Amino acid sequence: MSIHLEAVSVRLGEADVLRDVSLNLAARTVAVIGENGSGKSTFARLIGGLVVRTTGELSVLGLDPTRRAAELRRRIALVFSNPDAQIVMPTVAEDVAFSLRADRLRSVEVRERVSAALDRFGLTALADRPSHDLSGGQKQLLALCGAFVRRPELVIADEPTAYLDARNARRVADHLFEDTGHRLVLVTHDLVLAERCEVAVLFTAGRVAAVGEPTAILAEYEAILRC
Amino acid sequence: MLSFYRPGDGWLHRMPSGPKAFLLFAFVLGVSLLPSAWWAAAATATATALVYLLAGVGGWRELSHQILIVRWPIAITVASQLLFLGPEQAVANTVRVVAAIVLAALLVLTTRVSALLDMIERGLRPMERLGLDSQRAALLLTVTLTTIPVLARLAGDVRDAQRARGGRSSLRSFTVPFLVVALKHADELGDALTARGIR
Repeated sequence: MSIHLEAVSVRLGEADVLRDVSLNLAARTVAVIGENGSGKSTFARLIGGLVVRTTGELSVLGLDPTRRAAELRRRIALVFSNPDAQIVMPTVAEDVAFSLRADRLRSVEVRERVSAALDRFGLTALADRPSHDLSGGQKQLLALCGAFVRRPELVIADEPTAYLDARNARRVADHLFEDTGHRLVLVTHDLVLAERCEVAVLFTAGRVAAVGEPTAILAEYEAILRC
Repeated sequence: MLSFYRPGDGWLHRMPSGPKAFLLFAFVLGVSLLPSAWWAAAATATATALVYLLAGVGGWRELSHQILIVRWPIAITVASQLLFLGPEQAVANTVRVVAAIVLAALLVLTTRVSALLDMIERGLRPMERLGLDSQRAALLLTVTLTTIPVLARLAGDVRDAQRARGGRSSLRSFTVPFLVVALKHADELGDALTARGIR
């Protein structure tokens, strides 16, 4: 089982952000949808080990994100909506290499993996360019490149296309959906992207309202939006 | 993102960052120990210019650029020393200070930030016996350096937002929203670092 939650709740300050969430997600691509404040991003951060559950049982790739956070982080990658906050190093190639820093690989291997990742994301020509001079789309591609260079088993993307135009959003989405052996949890407001996933999870007010085949879940979501 | 690195393939670029830092430090130390005399000022200026010309960083153009950056400290140094010490000592001391600054700048001009990060981490490793986390300290320095332009952009965004809403600029009306967006950025950056496997 890839992601398993049993009666998980998350309380942040005085607010119950997730309430009694139980899920078993084994699909390769999972869309997480819902209105603002419904708990989608907290769910993404919870399974990414950035938020600690208040109650319940949780396992991601067979690991407890609270007790074995370091091991889990080596196997997953997170991508957020704001690429500026994900870029750390001054040039494109250095920023991609930064993702491998914790692995303490030999410099030859780092160079090879960075070069292959830049090539895959079409960033080779920009390798020596200052990272923060890139366009929004290029920055998000760089953030993805930095995530995928670690060869993650699970990619958790929280609204990765939120700030992008249609063309760049499609490029980013195509990379996320490309089957490189990774699983994908995609938090999104883009219902077209959600439809590309194998399974969709609908959150409302911190609870799971529905789980299943995306077309049916999106119809349910549309019905909620019409109310 | 703040980076002073100038891409190139000169001998200083090719030199490993540790020995390069040591060499430049030795050079700066040598210059600092020279007496305050006309001949020492001339020797220092010549040696510094030669290093810039041979380093493959853009020669005179880069040297003038670096001197231009420190023009105000130079002006203040010269003026105050002319007043109290006389022309020979004023010029010699100022040339020494300027040479030390522009020679030290060669380290960041010819070394990628990632190599600097490695060098700082290696350099701080002996301090681990005293409880210092060298990896974290090096990362802190790097992130500080690279976050300055992001904060500058956020400050610009806050000012633009205030202007767009017809607000009058005051320290308080700028500081509060700027602190909010800066702290939000710090939160996001922390998450991104954690997500990339950095402790």
